[in-house]
Amino acid sequence: MSLSAAQTMPDSLLLQARAGDRDAFAALVRAHQRSVFSIGLRMLSRRDAAEDLAQDVFLQLYRKLDSIESLEHLGFWLRRVAANLAIDWLRRLPYSATRPLDEGAEVAAQEADDDPLMSRELMRLLGELAPHPRAVMLLRYQEDRDVAEIAAMLDMPVNTVKSHIKRSLTALRGRMIGAKLIDCEELP
Amino acid sequence: MNPKPPESFEDELRRRLRPIDAPEGFAERLMAALPAQRKPAVVQPGAARPSLRQFGLPAALAASLLVAVFLGVHVANDRALREQQLGIAASEQLMQALRVTSEKLDLAYEAVNNPPTAGEEENRS
Repeated sequence: MSLSAAQTMPDSLLLQARAGDRDAFAALVRAHQRSVFSIGLRMLSRRDAAEDLAQDVFLQLYRKLDSIESLEHLGFWLRRVAANLAIDWLRRLPYSATRPLDEGAEVAAQEADDDPLMSRELMRLLGELAPHPRAVMLLRYQEDRDVAEIAAMLDMPVNTVKSHIKRSLTALRGRMIGAKLIDCEELP
Repeated sequence: MNPKPPESFEDELRRRLRPIDAPEGFAERLMAALPAQRKPAVVQPGAARPSLRQFGLPAALAASLLVAVFLGVHVANDRALREQQLGIAASEQLMQALRVTSEKLDLAYEAVNNPPTAGEEENRS
């Protein structure tokens, strides 16, 4: 996972990047680009928008490197900015209403998993969630962040995060059972 | 299609929501878009000048304290002066009252010790 790849980086890399070392900054970008791009893609459902968003996030990082205290803080900061920027873009532009199905198919195909239909359907259902619950689900299941971290990243109460997760899981599970993509036995 | 065998739905989500690779050459394009020179914020401790922010709060507190002391002294002086003026006025009033009383007593004393004669009384009437 990208988080562990980022964790193997030496702390000196951040200091070098802050001192103006472009190679060090490029290494930070490469370590985190998968997560930031994936948040953008699954939030906005479009590759071009996801790339624009990722570029915007890293440009902001470049300007604000001095405020980043550690590599752990860097990971937190990037995901927070990516998720909030995506929510902001969704509010202003009708990204999600355009072509989520096509992009979902593309993403599913890219993942080369054992059940592309299910991945495609999951992407479609995820795209139907409202921006905030969608961001919560991505930070929880894509980025494996705990509830308190997600609450801090999205500036919302912990109970709201828990509520979003519970309701979104129920909705996704129900629709996937309805589409006969998973068994009823999987219900808790 | 066949339903999948039982598996934790959350694990299934984690597996299917793995991060996806960024487009080829993303980092290179990003680096090309960056400003040529980043101004590093390297602070030399020896050469560091005391910033306004560093001393701003203590200076503001000291200034506030000075203003408070100055105002306090001013108010106390003002009050003392006013009380002094009131005291002088009261003293003058008392002296005036004593003078009037003394004059009246003198008249009374005069009337008691030197009563007017009958002829004087007639002349007066």
